[in-house]
Amino acid sequence: MFAQFGATAESLSKASSLVLRIGTDAHLYDDPDDVSIGPLLDSRYDSEKVDALKRLLALIAQGADVSHFFPQVVKNVASQSLEVKKLVYLYLLHYAEKRQNEALLSINCFQKDLSDTNPLVRAWALRAMAGIRLHAVAPLVLAAISKCARDPSAYVRKGAAYALPKLYDLHHDEDSTALEELVDILLSDHSPGVVGAAAAAFKSVCPTSLYLIAKSFRRLCETLPDIEEWGQIVLIEILLRYVIARHGLVKESIMFSSNSASHSQADENFATSGDMLDHHHHHHSVVDMACDSNMVTVMYKSYIEGQKESFTQAGCAKGDDDKLDLPPLTSSTNDDVDILLRCTSPLLWSHNSAVVLAAAGVHWIIAPRKEMERIIKPILFILRSSQASKYVILCNILVFAKADPSLFSLNYEDFFVFSSDSYQIKVLKLEILSTIATKSSLPIILEEFQDYVKDPDRRFAADTVAAIGLCAQRLPMVASTCLEGLLGLIFHESSISSSSQLDGEAGVLVQAIMSIKAIIKHDPTSYDKVIVRLACNLDRVKEPAARALIIWIIGEYCSVGQIIPRILPSVLKYLAWTFNSEELETKLQTLNTAAKVLLCTEGEDLLTFRKILSYVIELAKYDSNYDIRDRARFILKLVPRNLTTTSEEETTSCFLQNVGIHHEFAENIFSGKIHSTASSAKSFRIYLPGSLSQIVLHAAPGYEPLPKPCSLHANDLKLRMELGDETKESKKMAKNNSFGTGDHDASSGSSFEESGSVYDSHHSIISSDSEGNEITSESNEIGHSSLEVMHDDWDKTLIDVSDAGVDNDQASQSAKGNLSALVSTDLAELMSKSALESWLDEQPGLTSVQMSQQPPSGRISINNLDCTVTPKIHMLLDPTNGNGLRVEYAFSYEVSTISPVMVQIEVFFENCLSESLVKIALKDEEYNSRVDSSYPVLEEHESLLPTDNAPSMLPSEEIASLDPGQRLKKVIQVRFHHHLLPFKVAVLCNGKKYLTKLWPDIGYFLRPLSMSMDAFIEKERQLPGMFECTKRCTFKEHIDHEKDDSSFHSDKIILISRTIASKVLSNSNVFLVSVDIPVSFNIDDASGLCLRFSGEILSSSKPCLIAILAEGKFSEPLDMAVKINCEDTVFGLNLLNRVAAFLQ
Amino acid sequence: MLQCIFFLSDSGEVMLEKQMTGHRVDRSICAWFWDYVLSQGGDPSKILPVIASPTHYLFQLFRDGIIFLACTQVEMPPLMGIEFLCRVADVLTDYLGGLNEDLIKDNFIIVYELLDEMMDNGFPLTTEPNILREMITLPNIVSKMLSVVTGKNSNVSTRLPDATASCIPWRKTNMKLASNEVYVNLVEEMDAVFSRDGALVKCEIYGEVQVDSHLPGLPDLTLSFSNPSILNDMRFHPCVRFRPWESDQILSFVPPDGEFKLMTYRVKKLKSTPIYVKPQLTSDTGNCHINVLVGVRNDPGKTIDSITVQFQLPFCVASANLTSNHGTVNILADKTCSWSIGQIPKDKSPSLSGNLVLETGLDRLHVFPVFQVGFKIMGVALSGLQIHKLDIKNAPSQPYKGFRALTQAGEYEVRS
Repeated sequence: MFAQFGATAESLSKASSLVLRIGTDAHLYDDPDDVSIGPLLDSRYDSEKVDALKRLLALIAQGADVSHFFPQVVKNVASQSLEVKKLVYLYLLHYAEKRQNEALLSINCFQKDLSDTNPLVRAWALRAMAGIRLHAVAPLVLAAISKCARDPSAYVRKGAAYALPKLYDLHHDEDSTALEELVDILLSDHSPGVVGAAAAAFKSVCPTSLYLIAKSFRRLCETLPDIEEWGQIVLIEILLRYVIARHGLVKESIMFSSNSASHSQADENFATSGDMLDHHHHHHSVVDMACDSNMVTVMYKSYIEGQKESFTQAGCAKGDDDKLDLPPLTSSTNDDVDILLRCTSPLLWSHNSAVVLAAAGVHWIIAPRKEMERIIKPILFILRSSQASKYVILCNILVFAKADPSLFSLNYEDFFVFSSDSYQIKVLKLEILSTIATKSSLPIILEEFQDYVKDPDRRFAADTVAAIGLCAQRLPMVASTCLEGLLGLIFHESSISSSSQLDGEAGVLVQAIMSIKAIIKHDPTSYDKVIVRLACNLDRVKEPAARALIIWIIGEYCSVGQIIPRILPSVLKYLAWTFNSEELETKLQTLNTAAKVLLCTEGEDLLTFRKILSYVIELAKYDSNYDIRDRARFILKLVPRNLTTTSEEETTSCFLQNVGIHHEFAENIFSGKIHSTASSAKSFRIYLPGSLSQIVLHAAPGYEPLPKPCSLHANDLKLRMELGDETKESKKMAKNNSFGTGDHDASSGSSFEESGSVYDSHHSIISSDSEGNEITSESNEIGHSSLEVMHDDWDKTLIDVSDAGVDNDQASQSAKGNLSALVSTDLAELMSKSALESWLDEQPGLTSVQMSQQPPSGRISINNLDCTVTPKIHMLLDPTNGNGLRVEYAFSYEVSTISPVMVQIEVFFENCLSESLVKIALKDEEYNSRVDSSYPVLEEHESLLPTDNAPSMLPSEEIASLDPGQRLKKVIQVRFHHHLLPFKVAVLCNGKKYLTKLWPDIGYFLRPLSMSMDAFIEKERQLPGMFECTKRCTFKEHIDHEKDDSSFHSDKIILISRTIASKVLSNSNVFLVSVDIPVSFNIDDASGLCLRFSGEILSSSKPCLIAILAEGKFSEPLDMAVKINCEDTVFGLNLLNRVAAFLQ
Repeated sequence: MLQCIFFLSDSGEVMLEKQMTGHRVDRSICAWFWDYVLSQGGDPSKILPVIASPTHYLFQLFRDGIIFLACTQVEMPPLMGIEFLCRVADVLTDYLGGLNEDLIKDNFIIVYELLDEMMDNGFPLTTEPNILREMITLPNIVSKMLSVVTGKNSNVSTRLPDATASCIPWRKTNMKLASNEVYVNLVEEMDAVFSRDGALVKCEIYGEVQVDSHLPGLPDLTLSFSNPSILNDMRFHPCVRFRPWESDQILSFVPPDGEFKLMTYRVKKLKSTPIYVKPQLTSDTGNCHINVLVGVRNDPGKTIDSITVQFQLPFCVASANLTSNHGTVNILADKTCSWSIGQIPKDKSPSLSGNLVLETGLDRLHVFPVFQVGFKIMGVALSGLQIHKLDIKNAPSQPYKGFRALTQAGEYEVRS
């Protein structure tokens, strides 16, 4: 009974605690794997999937690795439920890089989602797709981005802008013009949200392409207030960089005004130029002008050139300043400068402190000095925005204040310390206060400092004392007040530390004496009384470090003024008397001081001092500490004997000779003048305002100083703009092709919608519908219709030829393919017709024709070909980098005999020096890094073939020596890990190692597969839909040819087919199957020209078919459609891009 | 570009990680960070907000016992990182109705979904609370119960908020609301410092104009002050149009729905404070007598509430014995002494007195504590800022308008 009650009560209390957490995901976080997640993921119900995914996320949150669920999770990407989708995306992006191959499975779904009607789904799909970071799908992502960049929904366009940096990040080293184009499009978007995102993309994709800003600078400035706060931060910086690069610095700005001040200093020796007067006026009181403008010069250099250069320059010589090249200048009345300033000023009221600081940074750099006041209040106000941002803002204020103390001098109250401030903030505030203090504000600041000295945080109190010293040095007229305060503090402090051992107190005391020392240094003679008072209080100060400092001061200024020499004997007697009870550092300073005093003094005290020194040295000789014994011996040797010791009779002649030298040494060591330490400005590190580098005080990766003033020339700009217009006129064909959505040309009568369909055909590669076929057949149709129009006027013989072609192909053509059969004629067949000879006979070298004349079993090798087919030679090692060794490589047409996964590469070594090079070899750098042992040179080839996926290279023999001018060819075999990623290789020469990269060429991951025309078409039919991909590009090369080759129209088609064939053959290892030329071509119609190539993928022996179809007119750039049929779709896509790239 | 965000508890436990970019940040950075915190004394609130670790730059925000830690490896404006973390903390507080370890853990899915919406590839995406609220629904009692009953629990919206496309992204379009009301609150904090001589060193007000708006349609509001000239500095919510403020110092805006900070302002160089706190410390032969008096200096016309006085006993104090004639005195383990007074009684002025015993060997006190004072006054804006009127255009019917004011102590310090 009772037990039952107990149980109920227990469950009740459990239940009540549950009520609070009911409906939350608490149980999932607490116990994520209490059920088996796998089956849940495969469940039919969305709710169970959600449950499983939440459990996975809980495990991720707790740091567990649950990537083994990846395949199961990826399947769910196709779910219709948005919640499942969202959770899957969260999971996917967390692991995508780890599980690349499985991530590929999700691409299809993203592709489908990209055409969803819900913009949220489109945006998510793009985000996820761009986020999975796969090299293989990069082209698809690019296509998706360029599609989304034109999406009707602003949110999706914004997503496109965000995706650009992801893609760029994946493909750093590749040509980013396509990305740049997209940035350009997005920057000119009419929605401010998109512009903000585009600015962020600009910054990571092409931060130096400032010419993109040129055309829309004004519009960007004007939209600045409407952009989201985060975009504002980035865009402000970009606009500033543009203005500097375009117009240079503003001559009224603080940097230039003080720069000119430093010039006038150097040239006219503080003559009162207009600038200087102006400057003084602003300073309200006399501040250390030289230091100030030094600081500004350093700042200016750091902003423009970056810290490294400015350091070396500053370190060179002080007189360097007048050699400083004046940057090109502009005035604040410049329209661009003016509008930027005008549009950034309202941002100073932003509620986001980062925006305020960014806007203030622009004003700081380009606003006229007299308008600078505008930024002060906003900057000070954001100090109150959050504790965390306070520190960052103070760091920036400190730099501003150092460069121009007068800016903040009236607002000293804002830097008064609260006890709730963290120590670092307190210290920054102290430094700022001591920088901006003026004659009028100093009394109040000093009063405040007096309160700080009593603060329980003794470290802070010590810093305050140091700050007092700094103030006194900056404003000499208040030095005596400061000194009084410090002395009072010393006597007060010493009384405390005498009574108990407290850690912090010693610090305050020592700091106080250091401050005094620093003040005295500036003008010792007027402070001799201070030194005397210090000396008199020696017995009250017990802290060894403090005592040592006072003793040093006495020794250093022993001959200053009237009073000090008089008290010296008694002070020294006291020191000698207490010597044995002193600590180490005090003893050392006592020794030094005794020696110094002896060197400086003449007259009746000399004897006393001599006795004191010898007494102290005697004591020190038998000290337990060897440092002191050493010092004693050192002084004994250095200080001339006749002064120090009574044992003169021991002096040998040898010593006598050295006395003079010893004396000189002693003079230099003990009474050398103290050189003033380098000005603080020189050692101060300055980075752009608001940057991370300024906070961490080193250039963070990715930090860029401002661009060189006026590095963006008007001519450049105009040229770029014209180019831009030109491309616009040509309907952006070239651009669009580069990222896969080619527009049809005008003659085919298609419009933008149709270009969309080209993209869709891309899409179809994956989603396996056969839309892609239609494009080619469609264009064939177009070719055919034009053919029919021309048909009537055409020459009889040619019609015959055409007929023959039809007959020939009839069997192999499908019913649907009739149209193309009509236009496509095997060039070989054509060649056999004598009728053709009439328009071919004057052809000088018909390489492509000769090639196709060869029997199908024959192989096309380099030697048989005309010079038009030459393998492209890539540079591996530049002679300038390789100490005179030039290494080039070209992909070989030979197929590796060792392994199908190997690619054969011909490497050419050339000696560009006048002496011979020895021991040249290529080494597999990645292999070396995998295996630490030495390279097994003589191992069997087979054993070297790696079983894993890792790239490798078969070793080649070492070249013992290479004579001057000699060129040597070696063949190596390389296995690349991926057909897009480079292979690291080291070139060894003369015992040196040069690291280089072999870039794979996807065209040589094929071997020629000879087949007949029929076989080609049969094969093509077997690889439809998703195995087929198409891309459009423009071919212009023949136009150049035309200029220098003015033969009559009939050979144009041959010329073109020859150029195309040689282009393809010199860039990839394939077999030319056929060249179809349009039968009905007239003077200017190339539509219907079709070249077919076939190859086999090296690793998998899968056939890969390439068909190139031309359209358009000879006199214009030809519109080409490249089609690839290949079972390996990713390979096919990449090859397609490569083909399209080299055709252009 | 932030690469990753971690949530840590104040004992260094990693509660959550969200990778933002493809460059993953290993969790070990948190261990490094915690070691750093411990090396700096173990108090997360005293740690620098920007730390350069051997591998990453860290931005750190400590709020309500949660450490928000963001990592980056490249140059980026540090304030951007910090402001973003602040925004994350604000949004989470708004969503979860507070911020503590349990709330984060219990709602980790919502936290993940929010973070995913708020940042893409390390750059802030949607930080506007109103849009977020539409994309990811707030967890409320109804949805919780519903999820328990039906087993369905989707907090992801299936629709893209219209506001993402509009030029006023902070407001939903086509809002239909049952209520038709708008409240304007002036919430002020008084920062004041009294020197050891008892002189007022600095006194200023940091205030916020908080608006709680529940208006249908697309209302256009104009708020004007009778004495805008007393404002020294101000910052505005993005909805405020700059032009009218520049020319006439009028706040013209289309408000977001719900509560938001319309404006923050500062009034400097105030001359009087509502209460006085007079500490007296006299020390002799190892003992220190302490006496603190609190009273009304300038009657603000409303009751001064929740008065507290807090100070840290100096490290050289060995023991303390404190009594007060009103309110309660507590001495915490870290030698923090807190005296909560509440309201000042009419018949007497509260005082705290007692004796501090100093460490042996110390004759007299040479460091003096700083007294931090807290208070709250309802119904008064001590800066003297007055709202002149609030006009509403585009409203189908005249809504209910309410005004309130509140002043509380900010950094109110009395040195002794």
